[in-house]
Amino acid sequence: MISELFGWLFARLPFGDGLRGLVSPRTVRSLKRGLNRNALAKVGIVVVVIVLLVAVFAPLVAPDKPGTQNLEEARLPPLGFTKATVQEVPVQENGSVVFEDGEILTENRTVYENATIAHPLGTDGNGRDILSRLIYGARVSLLVGFLGTALAMFVGVSVGLVAGYYRGKVDDVLMRSADVMLAFPSIVLAIALIGVLGDSLEQSIPDPFVQSGLSEAVRSAIGLPTGMPETTTLPGTIIVVVALVNWVWFARVARGEALSLREQSYVKAARALGASDAKILARHVLPNAITPILVLGTIQIAAIILLESALSFLGFSSANVSWGFDIALGRQYQSTAWWIAAMPGLAIVITVVGLNLVGDWLRDALDPGIEGEGGV
Amino acid sequence: MSRESPGERDVTPNAGRDSTRERDASPRAHRDTGHERDRLRVENLTTRFFTEEGQVNAVESVSFDVREDEILGIVGESGSGKSVTALSAIDLIESPGRVTDGEVWLREPDLAEEFRERTPDAVDGDFVDLRRLPKGVRRSLRGPKFSMIFQDPMSSFNPSLTVGEQIAEAVEVQRRASANPRSTRSRTQGYGLGKLIVDTLVPGREYTSDASRERAIELLEQVGIPDPVERADEYPHQFSGGMLQRAMVAQALAGEPDVLFADEPTTALDVTIQAQILDLLRDIQRDRGMSVVLITHDLGVIARMCDRVGVMYAGEVVERGSLADVFEQPTHPYTQGLLGSIPDVEDPAPRLQPIEGNVPNLVDSEMPDRCYFADRCPKAMEACLERPAERPVDGDPDHTARCVLADGEYDPATALPDDYFEEDPEATDAPAEGGAADD
Amino acid sequence: MTDDALVEVEDLEKYYFENDTLFDRLLGREPSAVRAVDGVSFDVQRGETLGLVGESGCGKSTTSETLLALREATGGSVRFDGDDVFEMTSRERTQFRQDAQIVFQDPFSSLDPRMTVGEIVTEGLRIHGLADSAERTARAKELLERVGLSARQVDRYPHEFSGGQRQRIGIARALALDPEFIVLDEPVSALDVSVQAQVLNLLEDLQDDFGLTYLFVAHDLSVVRHISDRVAVMYLGKVVETGPVDEIFEDPQHPYTQALLDSVPRASVEEYGRRGGTLEGDVPSPRNPPSGCRFHTRCPHAREACKRELPPDYDVGANHDAACFRTDDTHEYWQSAPLEHVDDGGGSSGGGVADDD
Repeated sequence: MISELFGWLFARLPFGDGLRGLVSPRTVRSLKRGLNRNALAKVGIVVVVIVLLVAVFAPLVAPDKPGTQNLEEARLPPLGFTKATVQEVPVQENGSVVFEDGEILTENRTVYENATIAHPLGTDGNGRDILSRLIYGARVSLLVGFLGTALAMFVGVSVGLVAGYYRGKVDDVLMRSADVMLAFPSIVLAIALIGVLGDSLEQSIPDPFVQSGLSEAVRSAIGLPTGMPETTTLPGTIIVVVALVNWVWFARVARGEALSLREQSYVKAARALGASDAKILARHVLPNAITPILVLGTIQIAAIILLESALSFLGFSSANVSWGFDIALGRQYQSTAWWIAAMPGLAIVITVVGLNLVGDWLRDALDPGIEGEGGV
Repeated sequence: MSRESPGERDVTPNAGRDSTRERDASPRAHRDTGHERDRLRVENLTTRFFTEEGQVNAVESVSFDVREDEILGIVGESGSGKSVTALSAIDLIESPGRVTDGEVWLREPDLAEEFRERTPDAVDGDFVDLRRLPKGVRRSLRGPKFSMIFQDPMSSFNPSLTVGEQIAEAVEVQRRASANPRSTRSRTQGYGLGKLIVDTLVPGREYTSDASRERAIELLEQVGIPDPVERADEYPHQFSGGMLQRAMVAQALAGEPDVLFADEPTTALDVTIQAQILDLLRDIQRDRGMSVVLITHDLGVIARMCDRVGVMYAGEVVERGSLADVFEQPTHPYTQGLLGSIPDVEDPAPRLQPIEGNVPNLVDSEMPDRCYFADRCPKAMEACLERPAERPVDGDPDHTARCVLADGEYDPATALPDDYFEEDPEATDAPAEGGAADD
Repeated sequence: MTDDALVEVEDLEKYYFENDTLFDRLLGREPSAVRAVDGVSFDVQRGETLGLVGESGCGKSTTSETLLALREATGGSVRFDGDDVFEMTSRERTQFRQDAQIVFQDPFSSLDPRMTVGEIVTEGLRIHGLADSAERTARAKELLERVGLSARQVDRYPHEFSGGQRQRIGIARALALDPEFIVLDEPVSALDVSVQAQVLNLLEDLQDDFGLTYLFVAHDLSVVRHISDRVAVMYLGKVVETGPVDEIFEDPQHPYTQALLDSVPRASVEEYGRRGGTLEGDVPSPRNPPSGCRFHTRCPHAREACKRELPPDYDVGANHDAACFRTDDTHEYWQSAPLEHVDDGGGSSGGGVADDD
């Protein structure tokens, strides 16, 4: 069923003239075939779709506001778990404390705190609902993942295609500078770039569901807390930084493709017909290079989400709700309330694995070498 | 070539096209009637590929024989099944392909003696049927009995080993085999599991003896490689295409094979280098009295090299006979068309006579139940709507054609109209009318 | 010789430089030249087919692509209809791109897999803005019919066609702009013989119908003989012999041409048992071509003079030139000593002989 849905979707996506070949019936067929062969890919797609939907409709599905503190309910365990703490309490007899040797007599008693249905994944150190924070954190992670990848793809593919198509000095200069970028560990490079950019690019974008009153109406109708945040943080700095750190991968792939495509006879034929370089790049080179670039893109989204989490964990993000940031918050409760750090960690793992499964599926299904025409 | 009375082995027309084609009732009625000089007899060999697109009938009931001290040519266009035929004969077909039917009789008196009691089915006089022999025995025959050289020498050598090492390795295998004369089955045991493990664990281990190395150099010299001592230590990429093809011939000769299959051995080479390799092949064949099966698409190469010829089309041998039979009295219209469509370097005809249309793909579901060539044949008649059997041409058992014209006349009265096969306008290969039709 | 030349190629050179990256220069490495085309001159008369023949690596395809300015020449000139192709203004260049076309060898890489056949065939019209979308479709259908395909196939993608059909599509693309001159770069060598004959017949018909001029690049001598009016034979970046097709094939003057013709196997019974390997050794590398006559390392008639001096083109008949001293009865070649061939490998082989310590 999912494969049919995707076939339908792929056949209708407005890819535009240049990319139309990508959705040729043959491509759709091989995508479907890949999906049938690869059950994990289906899991990946389901995961990614769920995470995407949850992030988009956060104000409708989050059980609570991500920022509401309630110290009385701090560190509640997730559903299915009971938190047992051993406390020293005064021994009471008939309503009064007992003294022994001039001291209040105490005893060790185990106190049980039960999970509540209101906080299915428990609460953090400040009593905030973890599930709600994960849902809002997904917005940040996916925004950074998708926009960062898109930006990296744009920069990297432009540079790579030009370098590969023109070769020579242009290639030398562009690709050597790319090599320099690769020489630094990405996290170090990212921190340095954040230092340069500061938070000049941070933006708040209004949340359409809240602004229009839709989510508030729905929430009050079904009895959920209202007053969801009216804006979402768009961590512009982080997006630019992860793109600047990761464009190199796209540049290398695009360059390799351009190098081989420029030698294809149809590119030569287009030159013989008088086509300009820009036209050739847009019409012959890019469309034929797009498959590996898209495959790399899916995998890069996952890598960038990981990078964003790392930066948030280290405190370099201005977003106040983020998976990485929440892991950092949970670190001090590691021994007493493991779920505060574990839940966002799990969210990262599930999303990244899901994206990689999708990436593997695309790679296998779109790779013409594997596709095989079955001839003899 | 056919040793039995005409028609005896003919496949019943309209037999089901399933993978296990029905054979005639007395499959080995021809026992001991073979040509006395036969070294290899291939009978009704059938190979299928089971791909996602469906079953591909790559080789369709192919029969031929190879005699002592001769070069048999198999000629056909790409996709005609000529390479798969050779691979099927020496049991090198890999999944998704499978030899589904047929017999490959090799004259090997010692083996015949050994198996006569155990598996009488697999023995016929001095001949053994390779397909009925145990797998290990079959494999042990590769090298000392059969060898093969391929079209692309570059991809046939391991780039990370020197050419000398690779040839010495082939020699080593044969040397060990002959050092243990007890039985052919033990031939591969000299290179057993233990040795394999040791060689795998110790990288770069020299596991060829000096004797094998010397033999390798000797072989390189025999195939005309200058400075063989130095060249033996070079890597494949340091060889030119022609030199590497010579080296491949040397490797194939390591086991002193009786039958050498050469699959398009000169197609990747320039014409002057091709001439050198062809001369080399002929010299070696003559010197050693080898039988060679030369597979090529080039009728010129066939004419220069081959004593007898089989023409393949769509997985079938459509015509076979002596060189003169096939080139001077071609009977099958496909053979005629093939000969008519090549330009002659000495006598430029004003206009070529191409065969119209395209080579069919061999997907089982698309193979019609008629002569496979009828849709392109200028002499297609109503009789061609049945599958033709292999018949002798004018009663000559050494010249056969899979065509009704072999023993019949073209009858214009029953000729099929030109557009008879165009009932499917959506077929991809529609423009069968070709270039000449429009003026 | 220059009655009505459409294309005049003079001393065309195309060198490739290796070790020429920024990095190599930083390390002070000298770029090394690969002399793919090394001073080639010929002309193509209006309405004729010139066959350019040679073995792989002789520079015939590079020549054809360089003369269309698809590769940048490193020397020499090409005149098309009197105008220097390498010095054209952009307007002249635009016109040249319409008048001169090319058909490639590989029917699989020559068509963009993501474009429909209709788009491929009319790409030139679109680039030059010569027709609107409806006109282009009509023209595409007309062209497909003309090359023996069906107008119904206009919306199909290249992978749905066989090799021969794809080559027809490539030919239709070259025809779309009504060119005068088409370079046919091994147009049939990837095709099966039966299909090859169809395409050759088509090319001949088109030449008659549209008055085309062909440069037919090939390694297959029988095809060249069939289709050409004149032939130029290349060896290692140089043209060694030019002449009318019958003279080249019946009375070849250059030893290389003779050897080449000798090696071709004929498809006839008389061919049986003939030995064709008159040439020994391999073609030397164009990285380090032999001195003097390029062919002297393999030539059965080579003498000392061939090693020292590059033979000029000698006139050996009407429109028939050969670059060999043997055609000049008075040349000092006849006095010089024959080369000792076996030890004179002019390439990778040779080297340390007899130094056994």
